Amino acid sequence: MKLFNNRKKIYGTMLLLALVTIFAGCNEDFLDRQAQGSYNQDNYPYPGGSGPYDQFINGAYSTLNSYDVTVFAFVATTSMRSDDADKGSTAADSPNSKELDEFTVTPTNGLVNSLWLGHLNLVGKANYILDRIKNDPNPNTAPDLKIDAEAQARFFRAYAYFMLVRSYGRVPIIDSVTTGSASASNVPQSTPAQVYAFIENDLQYAAANLKPSYSDAFVGRITQGAANALLAKVYLQQKKYSLAMNTANLVMTSGQYDLSVDYSDIFDEEGENSKESILEVQATATPSVQTNFGTQYNQIQGVRGTGDWNLGWGFNVPSTALEAAYEANDPRKARTILYAGGKSLWGEDVPTGLPNPRYNNKISTPRDKQALIGSRSAWWMNIRLIRYADIVLVYAEAANEIGGAVNIAKAVDALNSVRARARREATVSGALPDIVSTDEEIVRNAIRHERRVELGMEHERFFDLVRYGTAATEMQAQGKSFTVGKHELLPIPQTQIDLSNGVLTQNFGY
Amino acid sequence: MKQKALLLLLCAFCYFQGSAQIKVTGKVTDATTKETLIGVSVKIKNSATGTQTDVNGNYAFNVPPNSTLVFSYLGYKSQEVVYTNQAQINISLLSALNELDQVVVIGYGSQRKRDLTGSITSVSGEDISKSPNTNPLSSLQGRVSGLTLVNSGVPGEGPTLRLRGVISTNSSKILYVVDGVFQDNVDYLNSDDIESIEVLKDPSSIAIFGIQGGSGVIVITTKRAAKGKTRITFQSTVGVQTVPNQIEVADGDTFKRLYSAQLTNIGGEAFDYRNYNASTNWQDLILRDASLNTNNLSISKSGESSTTLINLGYSNQDGVVRNSGFKKYTARLNQEFNINKNIKIGGDINAFHYDRNPTDVTLNNALWAAPIVPVQFDENTYYSMPSFQRAQVGNPIATLNRNDNTSVNKGYRAVANLFAEIKFLKDFKLRSAVYTDLSFNGTRDYSALPYSFINLGETYSGVYSPTDTTYDASIYTSVAQRQDEFRKYQQDHTVTYDHTFNELHKVTALVGLSSLYTGSTTLNAFRRDNNLNIPNDPDFWYLGVVNNSSPSPTAGGGGAESSQMSYFGRVNYAFNNKYLVNTSIRRDGISKFAPQNRWGTFGSLGLGWVISEESFFKDVKSIDFLKLRAAWGTIGNANGFGENLYLPGLNTSDVGVFGDNVYPSVSPAYIPDPNLHWEVVRGFDLGIDFSALGQRLTGDIAVYDRTTKDILTYVEVPNDTKRLLTNLGTIKNRGVEVNLGFKDKIGDDFTYSINPNFSYNKNNVESIGDGFNFQLIGNGGANKTNSGSPIGYFYGYRQIGIYQTFSQMANMAVNSDGTSAPGDIAYEDVNEDGVITEADRVNLGNPVPDWNYGVSVNLAYKNFDVLAQGQGVAGNYVYTQRRTSRFAVINYESNRANAWTGPGTSNVEPILDNTRPNNYVFSNHYLEPGDYFRIRTLQLGYTFNNNKTLQKVAISNLRLYLSGQNLKTWSKTTGYSPEVPISSILGGGADNGVYPIPAVYTFGVNVTF
Repeated sequence: MKLFNNRKKIYGTMLLLALVTIFAGCNEDFLDRQAQGSYNQDNYPYPGGSGPYDQFINGAYSTLNSYDVTVFAFVATTSMRSDDADKGSTAADSPNSKELDEFTVTPTNGLVNSLWLGHLNLVGKANYILDRIKNDPNPNTAPDLKIDAEAQARFFRAYAYFMLVRSYGRVPIIDSVTTGSASASNVPQSTPAQVYAFIENDLQYAAANLKPSYSDAFVGRITQGAANALLAKVYLQQKKYSLAMNTANLVMTSGQYDLSVDYSDIFDEEGENSKESILEVQATATPSVQTNFGTQYNQIQGVRGTGDWNLGWGFNVPSTALEAAYEANDPRKARTILYAGGKSLWGEDVPTGLPNPRYNNKISTPRDKQALIGSRSAWWMNIRLIRYADIVLVYAEAANEIGGAVNIAKAVDALNSVRARARREATVSGALPDIVSTDEEIVRNAIRHERRVELGMEHERFFDLVRYGTAATEMQAQGKSFTVGKHELLPIPQTQIDLSNGVLTQNFGY
Repeated sequence: MKQKALLLLLCAFCYFQGSAQIKVTGKVTDATTKETLIGVSVKIKNSATGTQTDVNGNYAFNVPPNSTLVFSYLGYKSQEVVYTNQAQINISLLSALNELDQVVVIGYGSQRKRDLTGSITSVSGEDISKSPNTNPLSSLQGRVSGLTLVNSGVPGEGPTLRLRGVISTNSSKILYVVDGVFQDNVDYLNSDDIESIEVLKDPSSIAIFGIQGGSGVIVITTKRAAKGKTRITFQSTVGVQTVPNQIEVADGDTFKRLYSAQLTNIGGEAFDYRNYNASTNWQDLILRDASLNTNNLSISKSGESSTTLINLGYSNQDGVVRNSGFKKYTARLNQEFNINKNIKIGGDINAFHYDRNPTDVTLNNALWAAPIVPVQFDENTYYSMPSFQRAQVGNPIATLNRNDNTSVNKGYRAVANLFAEIKFLKDFKLRSAVYTDLSFNGTRDYSALPYSFINLGETYSGVYSPTDTTYDASIYTSVAQRQDEFRKYQQDHTVTYDHTFNELHKVTALVGLSSLYTGSTTLNAFRRDNNLNIPNDPDFWYLGVVNNSSPSPTAGGGGAESSQMSYFGRVNYAFNNKYLVNTSIRRDGISKFAPQNRWGTFGSLGLGWVISEESFFKDVKSIDFLKLRAAWGTIGNANGFGENLYLPGLNTSDVGVFGDNVYPSVSPAYIPDPNLHWEVVRGFDLGIDFSALGQRLTGDIAVYDRTTKDILTYVEVPNDTKRLLTNLGTIKNRGVEVNLGFKDKIGDDFTYSINPNFSYNKNNVESIGDGFNFQLIGNGGANKTNSGSPIGYFYGYRQIGIYQTFSQMANMAVNSDGTSAPGDIAYEDVNEDGVITEADRVNLGNPVPDWNYGVSVNLAYKNFDVLAQGQGVAGNYVYTQRRTSRFAVINYESNRANAWTGPGTSNVEPILDNTRPNNYVFSNHYLEPGDYFRIRTLQLGYTFNNNKTLQKVAISNLRLYLSGQNLKTWSKTTGYSPEVPISSILGGGADNGVYPIPAVYTFGVNVTF
């Protein structure tokens, strides 16, 4: 009995010892786990060991091509809000857009928040690239690659802030990456003047360091011409006319751009990345990837019909005011406005009885391309953000505003070069005659008119009116309840004010 | 030898008596069921000498004369018999009436309920089985104080549970421990195969489970083989489910009247109704009465050294939305055997298979579709919606039929465990268990060709477009495949020491080690055939059926891996059944955090005082048992987010496009916090347990205070689309819980019991933010979380009426943008600045109920039994988000028929005009009180006991019953069910087309052979 008891004790003690060994021997490697099937900043296989710069820049291009930056909120706030276009679609679709169109917009409008976040997202992408360049000294990366990356990043940041400052006035300047806490992104708003100075600084760096062009493999990347073009527009919006004129002139004398492309071809497939193109959102599609490499810019504006004419949602339709703005026989009108019951660019009969009488014809795409891709929504169509003719007219406006016979003559020359290009496609002789005047006011009105018809439906009009100081009169003429000093700007999104816990403050009148 | 070893095992102190002994034999049975009891301890009083009954309930051993025999058995009242030379002593043991003597399952062990110092509610398998729910958790509704349970009517979908409030902004999921395995869902369990469910509520009870248990733990024990001979039981129910109430929407004529009024208000062109003469009730067409069928077969055998249980289950629940359904197959084998007196091994294998027919159409589609449209022309030709909603709202029946039977959606799961228990050194027990849970879910989906649609003729701007029929030839057939694999490996090793010193000091000590690995792999792909029409036949729904001339497939895949490891220890000490101390400590490590933040130490302490054991209390006759208890504990929490989020993760799905060249791109996926660390839940619990009036009245009352600190949450930061995951903020839940039970009998034939419970929880966010005082916004701004308010409360304007006239408005606050007009909702100018702005938004109520209550009543008369169970909540609100859609003209709910049409017509419903944003901003106009009381179960049963006829066909017991579920609901909500989802912590409580909770009428049979 005793022996048995002892044996039990021995076994038991051995068991206890074994347990202690098991407990002590547990391997801590068991707790080392990686996120599965996803990369982080440190284990991403950067191509060619080159470091993160290219990869992060591509991410910024992707953001430029995003719904909130160049699609719905962009179209609604720049175009539907202007007197060039109406909301379109069906009466009740997208009340948010209707509020923008009719100047009843409130701080809770979802598009106002989308536009804000979309562009600050682009700012964040740019800041991330700058942070990586500064803090990831990859020895395998050539210094010129870093400089090129920084220049592109700063262009993106400037592009975003230019849209923000024109849309909201006072915006927070965010120039660093947010880590660990939210403090870096919760900064108070700066004045428009401070924001413009920030933009100019970025664009000056970009213009000084970007390449004039890229090979076909990277066609559409930000160039020196794009930086100068945007800078010229930034100067013009601030009425810094000499700087605007000189900077526009840098673009015009760069040798990269001219007015050789016929107006009607600019918006065709062949017109993509042509001599006319200064900044273009790149999009493409294949039969198997119909949407992922593209943009919905086209679909939201496509004709809202049935069957073959179910091309999209039918937003952003040309207004009667735009229709009336064209001179007789201006061939640009037909490329800008598609009429229900009329003919398409390819000779098809457009049905009658569509929800809207007019649609944006600059986004029309041919049937054969639709059939090839297998989609009627042309996600493959590039968005023309800055065209050469825009910069020629920036030059003309700046020169004319500086004044003096020499400058006014330069302005008239530039203006007429744009008219001459349009005239090439006129079917009636005598259409679009040259402007002949030395009177600053006559030339001013001619340039303003030219900008409107040359760039119809191209997102310039609203900001142009604000710059001219005529937004209220033009909008009120359209029967819209535009309040001077308020409706030039959008409200600061309430969601962001709430999130900032009052660090952000509301614009006047909202 | 064997006998002696057994004695050794049972004895704490071995005294062998030398005097003359006489052999006593006998049989022990259950006093009620007359079944023999195996393993009953038979001892000589005040000695360690004794034996156990064998498999036939018999015992035999030698006793000295004039000794007293003590018969004791788990769950039964002990009995003492004085030995006076009887040849045989047969005993019937009474089941322990005192439920405080029942044993409840706690972490890695069990404890008598009377020795607990925390809050644990037990629900018996019998109660679970009585409700015809395919998910056993659903049957907890109304039975557990402190538990908020929101059921889903979707077949196969489990409920959402919240225990004692929401503890975190990040995840508030309860941990399920099923026979030892850590689970986040119990879909694989058969409701009829549950022995008991224990709900562990307070931190001291939860602490031993650590890491995942911060929100509470539900321990589920499945059935073991019944003691005694081979037993076969069969249960089956058949039933029908019906939708108790439809949402009232306009019929054709009403729609025309309202839409015309709306167009007049907007100033739009009158709509041309000439071809729209139908009055279609779309809800009628998509809803149906659906069948429900559950079956369960259980076979068990208990031998001297081994027990076996086989359980098979099958249930088939059709959805009340047409064509949806869920079939569930379960099988379980449990086997345990003793290698010798000291070593027991055993294990379980659970197999689970489901076959789901998903819901083909959303309920909102039927609510939104205009009733003026006819359904279909022929089998392949449907009517499209009018132009004002054509692009946004499809024909619900076309959608339903096109999607019908286009999905093969099945899953397979195996949950298994193996364990060994070794008793050594008398008082020690080593238990080692390994567990695995593997599941494989797959879907094969088919997208069929579209139907032709008739667009009825309409007039625009005076031009009539005649009716035409369109067919979208650009849509091709396509197939999608998806395979998900989930893996889990767990091991637990514990050593328990159990000893009672001097019959006064009862000590149970435990040390243990546990590790858990979870992993998953998913793969999905989609492929369209641009050349051939893939047949509508599941045999062809594979990616490989598509020829390479069609576009290549798009595919995705991903995975996850996580592991955790813990060391723990616990000491339970009871002095003379009077003073109780339960304490535990646990060190947890988890792979989610950076190595320096990976480990945390947590623990608990519980104290109890059984006042009724005190001598001064002996005179209090009316109270049989009274215990005061207090407990404190901390738990680390790290639920609801992925691995390595302290590292800067990348989003790699976007591309950079240049011309037609496409390049990869990366961008930050979120804002990382390198210092992520544990959420810590701390809680304090005070309670009283009592039993009185001859144990007829039992109850417990608890108050608690639970605080979560360093909450891990995704913070939406201003001016950035990326979210920040960081430790931020403190949430407190305080509440009170009361459980009562009363049971008695009247005469010999009538017994009854009534068990009410209720609980109140107050949730408060103590702080959110690192000096920024951020608020978290949910559901598009309707819910808000900030310091000083309950988590995710409704935040918006408060309606005070409707603007009637411009002259009246001159004296009222109006919108700051000057757009207010008569017919618009007038809001309260909270800050009294004369205008309505965002600053006038206030706390409008809580989506999570403050009050939960339930009551069950059991009656039995002779062979009849009746169960009535009801449950309710109070204090919450429901957001009728389905009514706020204004992206198109949608059908009108009945409230819109009373819309304002001129001064004095309505002070509640605004003008019919969906273009006025003022009337669609979030306000209490869209809130309904969420209080409800529901009769959950009403059941009448009849049991044939010892029926001679039945016994001839080997049936020992037969129960037939009729049962009704969700028979009646008292509620002020207008949706299908007041139980709207609260699964979103920051944005819960919205009725956005909630699936109806059906009323279920069933007939059931339970047979025991």
